[in-house]
Amino acid sequence: MQAVILFTVLVSTYLMVIAKRTPALIRSFRYQSFCLFLVTLIIALREHQLDLYVVAGLLFILKIVFIPQLLYRTIKKIKASEDLGLFINPQLSLIWALGFTYLSWVFSTHLIGQTDAVRVILLAVAFFVVLAGIFLMIFRMTALAQIIGLLVMENGIFLLAAMVSGGMPFFVEIAVFFDVFVSVLIMGFFVYRINKFFTHIDVNKLSRLKG
Amino acid sequence: MLDFLPKQLFLFDPLSLFFIFVIFIVSLPSAIYSLGYFTPKANPCFAGRQAPAAEKNEYSSAKITLFWFLLVLFVLSMCVVVTVGNVLVFLVAWEIMSLVSYFLVVFDTTHEKSIQAGTIYIIMTHIGTAFLVAAFLILHKYAHSFDFAAIKNVCLIMPGPTKDIVFLLLLVGFGTKAGIVPLHVWLPYAHPQAPSQISSIMSGVMIKTAIYGIIRFVIFLLGVNSSWWGVLVLILAVITCLVGVIYALMERDIKRLLAYSSVENMGIILLGVGLAMLLVNMKMPYLAAFALIAGLYHLVNHAIFKGLLFLCAGSVYKATGTRDIEKLGGLIKKMPQTAFYFLIGSMAISALPPLNGFVSEWLTLQVFFLGALNSAGGARLFLGICASMLALTSGLAAACFVKAFGVVFLGLPRSNYAQSAKEVPLSMNFGMFFLSILVIVFGIAAGLVIKLLAKVAAVAMNVDISTMRFSLYNPTLTAQVGLPAKELGKSIYLSTPMIALVLIVMGLAGFVVYRLFAKGKPVSYQTWDCGYYKLDSRNEYTGTAFSKPFRIAFSFFLQPYRKTQKVRESFYQVKSFAYETHTTLVFKKYIYVPLIALVLKSAKFMRRMQPGSIHLYLAYIFSTLLLLIIFMHKF
Repeated sequence: MQAVILFTVLVSTYLMVIAKRTPALIRSFRYQSFCLFLVTLIIALREHQLDLYVVAGLLFILKIVFIPQLLYRTIKKIKASEDLGLFINPQLSLIWALGFTYLSWVFSTHLIGQTDAVRVILLAVAFFVVLAGIFLMIFRMTALAQIIGLLVMENGIFLLAAMVSGGMPFFVEIAVFFDVFVSVLIMGFFVYRINKFFTHIDVNKLSRLKG
Repeated sequence: MLDFLPKQLFLFDPLSLFFIFVIFIVSLPSAIYSLGYFTPKANPCFAGRQAPAAEKNEYSSAKITLFWFLLVLFVLSMCVVVTVGNVLVFLVAWEIMSLVSYFLVVFDTTHEKSIQAGTIYIIMTHIGTAFLVAAFLILHKYAHSFDFAAIKNVCLIMPGPTKDIVFLLLLVGFGTKAGIVPLHVWLPYAHPQAPSQISSIMSGVMIKTAIYGIIRFVIFLLGVNSSWWGVLVLILAVITCLVGVIYALMERDIKRLLAYSSVENMGIILLGVGLAMLLVNMKMPYLAAFALIAGLYHLVNHAIFKGLLFLCAGSVYKATGTRDIEKLGGLIKKMPQTAFYFLIGSMAISALPPLNGFVSEWLTLQVFFLGALNSAGGARLFLGICASMLALTSGLAAACFVKAFGVVFLGLPRSNYAQSAKEVPLSMNFGMFFLSILVIVFGIAAGLVIKLLAKVAAVAMNVDISTMRFSLYNPTLTAQVGLPAKELGKSIYLSTPMIALVLIVMGLAGFVVYRLFAKGKPVSYQTWDCGYYKLDSRNEYTGTAFSKPFRIAFSFFLQPYRKTQKVRESFYQVKSFAYETHTTLVFKKYIYVPLIALVLKSAKFMRRMQPGSIHLYLAYIFSTLLLLIIFMHKF
């Protein structure tokens, strides 16, 4: 079961990396978050802990329902092009992503050692998701892509915590959720403002703001 | 228990007490002086012409309150610096001292020059502090404690090369504050711009805390490791002396002149300290203690007479509104008291007997001679050269103050500024009076002072001085009695009361002889008239002219250049002719300007890394992360 979920996470991340348009990116983010929700739910069922159920519920509400909805609405409101603005085309991005997968595997074997194969793969996938998040932030032009990149990174960290140690302490988890929620709200608003001022959300062109 | 608190926060050993004494002996008259300095000017001596800048902004009462607050904080922080027994607290107090003095330098915020001077000062002082922090961190790494006692213990077993590094860091750190050439650049900017009583405290006391630092950390805690430390300090001190006095001689701003003279005197103090470091390494502890006595004696003397001279310069500035000595002149008639105090200070700083400057410079010279007599070969030559350089410095200093006193106070007034000067209020005069008394007392009571300083030096050098004998009433002052046979050189003799007596008797005798045998009666002319009539101030010898021979003699260092400009009506008729002469500031031109250019250039290069693109910034983080992973894989 875990293997399937992990594979889904991996695939959804690859999908994000090769996505050309914003809605596709959001959709893949939804898939990824759903996998995270499943993981949390499985652990919660296994350990019968109330706070894990709460975390899973919050995850479902925030990352699967609310945040994607908010992002869709922002796109509609700003009426900007749905194009993400790729610095690197999908094919090359995929090659990069494969390279990152290898690197994170190297990293996790180095960290844990070859003996514990399951944990190595867990760590490698989680770490790859973080790297992919940063990759999205760097090589996609629009501000929306950067928000999603940040969320993907957060997902990766969540995955790491959930799978390696069975979840972070409850209050930390809650705090992180609120952090993410508020930051998405604020950044969504910023994107709206940027679009209003500059009639685009292309972060690449903001360098002229430098003094 | 709170174990981060040091066990013994303050230490009041003789060395600390001596420096507290020096702090208060200058701060007190300066504080009294401030009372008069801030009183608004009531007399109409500026009526009819534009008031000078200092008078335009009358100090508001809030600003005066601020001044007093800063002054008290300044004095307190200096006291903490010299008494504290913990490196961390020392650093905090040192920084408070630097910052407060910065605020005092920029106290006259209306002058753009003050801001500029303050900026130079704060940059230099923080560069120095950075070096100090580095040195203290190395010490802490070995001692695992910030207490002086623990550091002193660990310094005994610290490896030699580490000690060398710590010494160099400390030397640069404290040297910046002390104004060792080539780190002296801030002094001639910061001292003139501060209010005069602050210049007096800064120059008289604050830069001495750096000497305290060198004595406390290098000699007392670290322990002199090898003889090149002393040699290095001596070479720097000689350079500092000469550079300071040559620049002072060239200067036409009276407070800048005094600032450069401070550089020179710090050099003389460092000669004593450096010689002590050298001699203690040559296994001559008694002579080393004696060298330190000479250095400390000059330190307190310089505090007194430089404080006095800065206060006098402040009075002149207050009365005339200018610091340019070429615009002054004839002030001895307008401000007789200030002139008298300035004369006393000038005599002391030029090392004329029986005043205090003479005693300390004479002692320093004597120690050099004794050291040279007791050593051989290269050391003997080196000490001899140092001694001759000190003698040269004294001579040039005398010339410098002949110029300062002669141009400012003698002759005819060179401008309206000097024409309309009036004597300053009582409280200002009192501050100067107090310090001039001290100048005389520290000259006459030399034996007593040396006896007290011997205790200070004994603690600093860890030498038993009970075998050294000094006497005041016995006209001979012997530092050598009871010394081990190796150090038993020639005894040295000094009795300032005797010298004073001889001078007075000779003066009286000369006067009597003159009155008895003088023929004819005196005819009074204009000052420096030489029998001509109708000479005005334009005919007078100027300060620049006075220093011209020295400018020529030291032209290899000063690199004077001139600018001429002719304005012609036609080819045959020159309407006006402008002539300027300047000296090249060697250290600024060859060290600081290239250094600043280098910093700016590298900053410009670094700026290319910061193009304003968020993607690029993220990419920096990302690539760092990737590199770290690859790096981790490799090793």
